[in-house]
Amino acid sequence: MQHSVSIKDLTLAFGNLTVLDSLNLDVDQGEFIVLLGPSGCGKSTLLNCIAGLLDVTGGQIFIEGKNVTWTEPKDRGIGMVFQSYALYPQMTVERNLSFGLRVAGLPKHDIEQRVKRAAEVLQIEPLLDRKPAALSGGQRQRVAIGRALVRDVDVFLFDEPLSNLDAKLRSELRVEIKRLHQRLKNTMIYVTHDQIEALTLADRVAIMKGGIIQQLDTPHTIYHKPVNLFVAGFMGSPSMNFISGKVARDGDGRFTADGVDWNLKGYEFSTEKGGEAGAVLGIRPEHFGVNGAADGMPITFEGEIEVVEPMGSDTVGWTSVAGSQIKFRVDSEFELNVGDKVKLGFDPQRSSVFDEQSGDRI
Amino acid sequence: MAESADSGMAIAVPTNGRSGSERLFLTSLFTGMVIWLGLSLGLSGLFSGMGDAGTWTVRLLPWVALAISALALTRVFSEVGGGLKFFGNRFRAHAIGWLIIAAILLFIAIAGQPLQSVFDLLGKSGKIIVRFCGEHGYFWAACAILIALGLLAIGVRDPSVAAPGRMERTFVQKLTAKVAAIPMALVAIGVFTGGTLWTVVFSFTNSKLLPVTKWVGFDQYIRLWGESRWIISIKNLAIYGVCSLVLSLVIGFILAALLDQKIRFENTFRTILLYPFALSFIVTGLVWQWVLNPDFGVQQVVRSLGWSNFVFDPLYDQNIVIFGILIAGLWQGTGFIMCLMLAGLRGIDEDIWKAARVDGIPMWRTYIFVVLPMMRPVLITTLVIIASGIVRLYDLVVAQTSGGPGIASEVPAKYVYDKMFLGQNLAQGFAASTMMLLSVFIILVPWAYLEFGGGKNKND
Amino acid sequence: MTDTTLASGPAGPKPKPAFSRRNIIIYGSLIVICLYYLVPLYVMIVTSLKGMPEIRLGNIFSPPMEITFQPWVKAWAEACTGLNCDGLSRGFWNSVKILVPSVIVSIIIASVNGYALANWRFKGANIFFTILIFGSFIPYQVMLYPIVIILREIGLYGSLTGLVIVHTIFGMPILTLLFRNYFTSVPEELFKAARIDGAGFWGIYFRIMLPMSLPIFVVAMILQVTGIWNDFLFGVVYTKPDTYPMTVQLNNIVNSVQGVKEYNVNMAATIITGLVPLTVYFISGKLFVRGIAAGAVKG
Repeated sequence: MQHSVSIKDLTLAFGNLTVLDSLNLDVDQGEFIVLLGPSGCGKSTLLNCIAGLLDVTGGQIFIEGKNVTWTEPKDRGIGMVFQSYALYPQMTVERNLSFGLRVAGLPKHDIEQRVKRAAEVLQIEPLLDRKPAALSGGQRQRVAIGRALVRDVDVFLFDEPLSNLDAKLRSELRVEIKRLHQRLKNTMIYVTHDQIEALTLADRVAIMKGGIIQQLDTPHTIYHKPVNLFVAGFMGSPSMNFISGKVARDGDGRFTADGVDWNLKGYEFSTEKGGEAGAVLGIRPEHFGVNGAADGMPITFEGEIEVVEPMGSDTVGWTSVAGSQIKFRVDSEFELNVGDKVKLGFDPQRSSVFDEQSGDRI
Repeated sequence: MAESADSGMAIAVPTNGRSGSERLFLTSLFTGMVIWLGLSLGLSGLFSGMGDAGTWTVRLLPWVALAISALALTRVFSEVGGGLKFFGNRFRAHAIGWLIIAAILLFIAIAGQPLQSVFDLLGKSGKIIVRFCGEHGYFWAACAILIALGLLAIGVRDPSVAAPGRMERTFVQKLTAKVAAIPMALVAIGVFTGGTLWTVVFSFTNSKLLPVTKWVGFDQYIRLWGESRWIISIKNLAIYGVCSLVLSLVIGFILAALLDQKIRFENTFRTILLYPFALSFIVTGLVWQWVLNPDFGVQQVVRSLGWSNFVFDPLYDQNIVIFGILIAGLWQGTGFIMCLMLAGLRGIDEDIWKAARVDGIPMWRTYIFVVLPMMRPVLITTLVIIASGIVRLYDLVVAQTSGGPGIASEVPAKYVYDKMFLGQNLAQGFAASTMMLLSVFIILVPWAYLEFGGGKNKND
Repeated sequence: MTDTTLASGPAGPKPKPAFSRRNIIIYGSLIVICLYYLVPLYVMIVTSLKGMPEIRLGNIFSPPMEITFQPWVKAWAEACTGLNCDGLSRGFWNSVKILVPSVIVSIIIASVNGYALANWRFKGANIFFTILIFGSFIPYQVMLYPIVIILREIGLYGSLTGLVIVHTIFGMPILTLLFRNYFTSVPEELFKAARIDGAGFWGIYFRIMLPMSLPIFVVAMILQVTGIWNDFLFGVVYTKPDTYPMTVQLNNIVNSVQGVKEYNVNMAATIITGLVPLTVYFISGKLFVRGIAAGAVKG
């Protein structure tokens, strides 16, 4: 099947500063891809390249099978939604939606129909005569989406569209974007630094750092089987626990660190067997069993509670093992007191092991 | 002192009962000072028609205000109920300060003349001080004493029970800041307000060499509008104003748009376009006088290239001389307008440009239909700046043409100067400058309304 | 890094011809406009380096065949205004004598005012400030004569001190605005912390605000130096021929009706007068732009 968007060896450099480095990405028809990463990782730059707003230094970009590397943004068959909405402030909503179509010289009847349909889909019909200044943040973002919608394109690009909204509106619009995608079935590429948005919206997430895609996979895989330390540490809140030590690959594999010696039976190593090497063991805070729940776990240890952080729905406790700080998550009903002894257990099957040198998963 | 104001207790105590007399005290005190100021600026001339009795009324007026204030003070004393207590008074130090000021003023007022030789050691300022105190020392000493007594009156209040009243807020809180702001207050009231009023008032007199208070109603204005020189000045200003306004905005915007194209050497271009703005109008005028000189300048050069009938001597042609000045004015000022516009352009959200590109809107259409409307605040500010600069047009004309040929390039500001300082016809100058003031108000009031009054829906 | 092979067709950067139509239009018009802006400067310099015979030959644009600095010397030391024939030098030193105290006094007063307005808000302060700002739009002509009276009353009419006072007064609106806006942008927490530490009005001003606001003082200085140096109106109204600042003297030299016009001397004098603000402009660069943008209200 033909890819909806296909990026080949894309490089972008400003002088000596390389922002994107030989990047490859294929997006399927109707797929929702989220580009996620810390600020400065090149995710917005990549989106701007796809849109044609930045000239690339090397490589090619295909949209719907057409080579658009040198094509003007308006001719690429894309619609784009910006973080700051970028609505034309002196025009009414109706004008905002139709301005591009008018300039393109579409027949009046056609324009009316498209605007009407977009307004219907986004439920902004009552707002058509207002100016952006008279709209709320959420309404403005809807209009901005509408402006992409009327262009009747195959690919939608979203550049941190929800970052300027408050938390409540953000979660509401998130659901709406998901509904919109399910209804329209267009290809969508969505840039964000918010991992909740990434996990909830995406068919596949591309985690970026330093102009390189670190991992491109379903949200589930990314969360449970991160390919390297960066991805593991970036995803999840509270973040994954890391314990430094050594891994010996005889038998089921053994993890040893200051005072611990754990058998990693059940862990699926992704690399060939080798000798003993420095490694980092990663366990998500919610994968610990505590006290009674720890009993059935393959690996258990004891610690003293140092800090307790009640988070509302659950509680995070801090302790330490093998010289590393460990946080674990329990239900908020669970009583934790500083100074208490706790028994923690985990299943190696749900943990991750990384090479200490390269940071890659082993 | 400020802490007491913040305690919850203090706020609970009603203060309305006594603030009435405190307010009266302060208001009449300040009224006295303002009257004094008005009279010192020469507005006493307003009462000159009333003869001797009038002169006396005028002299007494500030004192009447002080007397009312003193009466109000006695009420403050009785309301606070502490009597005149000096020791243990919270504002003892403040009161002493005011009393010292009063003492110094009185001393110089009384002993200044006999001790003139001592004050002469201070040079010219010594003379001024003695003269000032001789004439006004008693009044200001009285003001200072009243303030001192007022502070002593309210100083017996318990700060933990009573909220600070008007007196305390005026004369005690943030005192240093208020003292530091005195120059500003003096300039704002004395020069800007007082001076403007003075000029307007005296434009209704018959002043010639010196300001006098012979009232002639609107005669000066009638004469003004009957003078061909003033009419020409107004016409010139109108032509120059409209052209300069339109052209600076258009050229400034186009230049800014050109510089905004992410071009190379932007700084060099900007430096070149802006440098004339660093030069004075005198220098500008003289240079362009030279460049437009018909015997040596552009005209001569073009003629020597073969077009021997070429005529371009704006500075010597009555009909177009104002455009010669316009050329120089635009050369000097458009760089600045460009900078303002460029700042406005740079303030526009980058995403707007991106959105317009994705929408496929050509650049010129984006500029005109999207960006220009978004720059409304910058445009309005620029407009006001250009307009208020146009009204002041003076140096350029003086340097470039001295108003010539004949009176063909006269402008109002030059008219005012000539009448006031060369023509010994002060009142004509006052009337003319009042007309200038009026024209500025016509520009300024709508702007102030847009900027401050109608600005409610602009915090988008 | 990867083994993907690029398909045929466009790849890499979009080719951009150096002489695209767009570039030709942009750079072409910019260069033409810049030439227009530079011509007067060029003519000034060229003329001032020519002898009078060469000037009478005609072309003001042609470079000097024989470079002479005589006009500069004459403009500086010998040019006549009325009976005085000691050149522009007197005006220059007068301007310096006016400039230095005016700049210092006006900046001190305005910075303290701005600080009081920004950080020690008290009732009534904003009324004065509003009057000040509105006052800056009022044509100076309206206030010229009242100030003559005030200066005469205090015995300073015609003196350099008088002119310093005038410059301080008329510099106040814009400078106060400049400083007020700057001090307002200083985090208020800093001011509060200093107050809790027991610093008073002057303590905070000298120990916290001053050290933090060097750039704005430079901006204010640029603004005042060029503004005061270029002033003509106040100079001509409030000083006497002996104390005329440079601009007034320059105008008198060039526009005097007596004698033969010596265009080369005139142009040399004009350049010399423009030299101070031009130097300030070229040295300060971006700060100048910032200054005039901040001073936009000045008009």
